[in-house]
Amino acid sequence: MKQRLKIKFDIVKVLDFGTVILSLIILGPIVSLFYMSLGDSADIWPHLVETVIFRYFWNTFVLMIGVAVCSTVIGVGSAWLISNYSFSFSKVLDWFLLLPAACPAYLVAYAYTDFLEYAGTVQGLFRATFGYSSPNDYYFPEIRSLGGAIFVMSFVLYPYIYVLARTAFRKAPLTLYQVARLYQKSTFFRIGLPLARPAILAGMALVCMEVVSDFGTVEYFSLETLTLGIFNVWIGMNSITAAAQLSVITFLFVIGLLFVEARSRAAQRFNDTSRGQSYISLEKIYGLKSLLAFSVCITPPMIGFFIPILVLATNSMTVISSEILMELKGPLLNSVFVSILCSFTVVLISCFVVATAQNSQSSVIKILANCSASGYAFPGTMLAVGVVVFAGIGDYLIINLQTYNKDLFSNIHFGGTIFLLLFAYVVRFQAIGFGAINSGIQKISPNLFAVSRSLGKTFSGTTSMITLPLLKTYILAAALLVFVDTMKELPMTLLLRPFNFETLATYTYQYAHDELMTRASVPALMIILTGLLPVVFLNHVLRDS
Amino acid sequence: MELSMYRKITKLCLAFILLSVSANINAEELNIYSHRQPFLINPFLELFTEKTGIKTNVIYSTKGLAQRLKAEGENSPADVILTVDIGRLYVYEDLGLLAKIESSTLNVSVPEHLRSKNKTWFALSKRSRVIASSKERVKEDEIKSIEDLADKKWRGRVCSRPGSHVYNRALMASIILAHGRLKAEEWAKELVNNLARRPQGNDRAQVKAIFEGQCDIAIINNYYFGKLKFSKDDEQRRWAGAMRLTFPNQSVGDRGAHINISGGGVAKHSKNKENAVKLLEFLVSAESQMLYGQINFEYPVNPNVQASAELKSWGTFREDKVSIQKIAELSVEAQKMIDRVGW
Repeated sequence: MKQRLKIKFDIVKVLDFGTVILSLIILGPIVSLFYMSLGDSADIWPHLVETVIFRYFWNTFVLMIGVAVCSTVIGVGSAWLISNYSFSFSKVLDWFLLLPAACPAYLVAYAYTDFLEYAGTVQGLFRATFGYSSPNDYYFPEIRSLGGAIFVMSFVLYPYIYVLARTAFRKAPLTLYQVARLYQKSTFFRIGLPLARPAILAGMALVCMEVVSDFGTVEYFSLETLTLGIFNVWIGMNSITAAAQLSVITFLFVIGLLFVEARSRAAQRFNDTSRGQSYISLEKIYGLKSLLAFSVCITPPMIGFFIPILVLATNSMTVISSEILMELKGPLLNSVFVSILCSFTVVLISCFVVATAQNSQSSVIKILANCSASGYAFPGTMLAVGVVVFAGIGDYLIINLQTYNKDLFSNIHFGGTIFLLLFAYVVRFQAIGFGAINSGIQKISPNLFAVSRSLGKTFSGTTSMITLPLLKTYILAAALLVFVDTMKELPMTLLLRPFNFETLATYTYQYAHDELMTRASVPALMIILTGLLPVVFLNHVLRDS
Repeated sequence: MELSMYRKITKLCLAFILLSVSANINAEELNIYSHRQPFLINPFLELFTEKTGIKTNVIYSTKGLAQRLKAEGENSPADVILTVDIGRLYVYEDLGLLAKIESSTLNVSVPEHLRSKNKTWFALSKRSRVIASSKERVKEDEIKSIEDLADKKWRGRVCSRPGSHVYNRALMASIILAHGRLKAEEWAKELVNNLARRPQGNDRAQVKAIFEGQCDIAIINNYYFGKLKFSKDDEQRRWAGAMRLTFPNQSVGDRGAHINISGGGVAKHSKNKENAVKLLEFLVSAESQMLYGQINFEYPVNPNVQASAELKSWGTFREDKVSIQKIAELSVEAQKMIDRVGW
C-alpha cells in the first residue's frame, strides 16, 4: 500500500516537471526578447521621452480601454440575451454573433475605410444627396482615427468575450437564479455577471492583448500607438534593442493590468457546487421586447461581419477568375493545415498545463503556467524575432551535439521549418487555449478532484474521467478561437515560414501591402469563409453539449 | 487503456516533430529572402530559371528577415537578399550579413552612387519621389521643388503619408544632406504646418485625396502614378487623371529629383555564392532592367538601358546623384527630426 502511494506521488512529480519544462520552452522566445532588450540604446531614449513616447502610451491606453469597454458591453449584453431568452431568430443570431471572429481586424479596417472615408460610398452618397462639394461643407466622423479604430476593433473582437460569457451563463446552475428570483434581485447583476466573471475577464484579457499587439489596423489608420512606435524605432532608428525595450515595456504594462485583475479575483470563488445538472432554461419573449432583443443581437454581426463581407465581395467581383482561384488552392490548403495542427497542439498543451497546474501544490508551477500564456501581449513580429533568436540558440546546441553523435542529430535543425512556425503559434496562442480552459476549470469545485483522488483514482484517471469531460465545452471554445486566429495570423507566418510556403494571410498581404485592395479581397474573403466552417461546426457542438 | 491512448498521442507528436524539423536544403537551388512581394519578383525568377536551369525558392516578409538571417548564422539557407529600399539594405550591411562581391558586370552596370562602397549591395532599380498636384487647382510650374512644399501659400493644401514611412524618411535625409540640419528641420516644420489632414494612408491614398479635393499637392513615388493610370479599376484611373506629375528640383543648378532604390546582395554564409551573384547579374542585365519598367514602372539602374516608353512619356528628369549610402546613414537623424516635428 505504502509502495503504491509513493508511485502515484512520483507520477504527479513527473507531470509537474513536464509542465515546468513545457512552460520554460514556451517562455523561451519571450525571454529572448527580454535578453535583447538588455542591449545599449542610451542615445534613443532621451529623444523618445522628449518627443513621442507619451503620445504612444496615451493612444495605446485610450485604444485599449475603449475597445475593452465596448467589446465587453457588446459581448456580455448579447450573450446574456441569447442564453436567457428565446425571441425571433434567436437561434440564428446565436451563431451570427460569432461570425466576426473569422474576420481579421485589419481587413475590416480596410473595408470600412473604403466605405466610410471622404472618398467612400457613404460620404459620396451624402454629398450627392445634400449637394455638398468639399469636406468643409459638413461634418462627418473620420474613420482613420482613434475612435474609428475603437469602433472597428470592438466589433471584431467582441466574440472572444461573447463565446466565453455565453458558455459561462449557460453553465450557471438554475438553483442560484431561482433564489435570486425568489428575493426579486436582478439575476444578471447578482448571479449571471458574478458567476461569468472569470470567463468575461479571460475574454477581456485576450481582447486587451490583441489590441496592444495589433499592427495592421493602427498602421492602416496611422495611429501612433506603442506597436507603431516599436517599428519606427526598429526600422527607422535601426535599433532592434530599443524596439525590444519598448515591446517589453508594453508587455509588462499589459501583464501588470492582468495581474491586478487576477488579484482582485483571487478573493472570490466561482465554483459550481449545485448537485443537479439543471441549467437555466430559455424564457420566451414576444412583441416589442422580442424586436428589441433582435435588434441588439443583429447589430454586432452586421457591423463586424456582414457589411465588411459585402464590401469585400463587391471588390472581389471585379477581379475574380478561375485562374486566381486555382492559384489560391495551395495557400488555402496550407492555411487549413497549419490552423488545424495549431488548434490541436494548443488545446493539448493547454489541457495538460491547466490540469497539472490545478492539481499542483507548487505556486511556482502555477506562476509558470500563467506566464507561458502571455505571448499574446507582444506584437506578432517582435515575438517572431524572439522565436528566431531562440531557434538560433537551439540550432547552435544541435550543432554542438553533432560532435558527439553525428548520425542522430545530422538532419535536424529548427530554422525555417514548419515545426518552428507551429511552435511560434503555440507561444502566441497559448494565451487563448490556457485562458479559455483555465476559466472553465475555475468553475469546477476542487472538491470534485479531491473526492476522485480519495476514491483511489490516479491523477490521470481523474483528468480523463472528471476534468476533461467537465471542460469539454471550454476546450471546444478554445479550439475554435485558436483555429480562426491561426487562419488570420500574419506577421509571424510571414517571417517564420519555410521557403515557398504561402498561406491565405500572406497571399493577401502581398497585394494589400501594395495597396491593391481589389486583388487582395479574394483571398481575404477566403480567409473569412474558411474561418467560418469551424465556427459553425464547433458552435453546433458547443450548443448541443 | 487511458494510458495507452496518451502514449499513442505522444508517439504521434514525436513522429511529427522529427519529420518537421528535418528540412532538407538542396544545394543546387537558390534561396532568396525577399522584402519585395512575390508577384513582383516571380516574373524575373521564372525567366532566370528558364535561362540558367537554376531553381529558386523565396521567403517574402517586410520585416525581420535581417534578424532571422542573423540568428540563423552559418546555418542559414539564404543565398540572396532582395529589398525595396536603401534603408533595409543598409541594415544587412550594418549587421555584417552580406558577402563582398567581385563582379565586373555589377560594377559596370550599376553606377557608383547606387552601390555600396564595400561591394556588398547593389541597386537593381530606381524610383523617383515626385510631386503630384491637382490639374484643376494648381497651375503648371506653380510648384517646382520639394522645398516649395514649405511655402506658406500651401497652408492646408498638402497631403502626406506619415513621415516615418521609409520613403519619406529617405526624402528627409536627402534634404538634410542638401541643406544641413537646421534648415531641414525648418522645412519639415513648415511642411507639417501646410498639411490639410493628419498624415495618413499610402501614396495611392494621397492621389485619391487630390482627386476628391481634400488637398492640392502630395509627394508620391513615381510608379504609383503608373499603377493608377493603368489600374483595372475605372475609379483609380480617374484619380490618376486628376493629377499632374512633376519631377522636383529640375531648375538649372538645382540638385535633381530625390531617388530611392530597390536592391540586392549575397548572404555572407551562402553555400551557393556563384549562382547568387549570377542572379544579381541577371537582374541588372538589359532584359531584366526593361522588365522593371514594364512590371512596376521603375527606372533602370543600368546606364545602357533606356527607360520604358511609358516612363519616357512622363518626361525625362535629372536625378539627385548624392550617394545613396549617405542617405541610409542619415536615416536615424531623419527619423528623429520627423518625431520632433510630428510629421
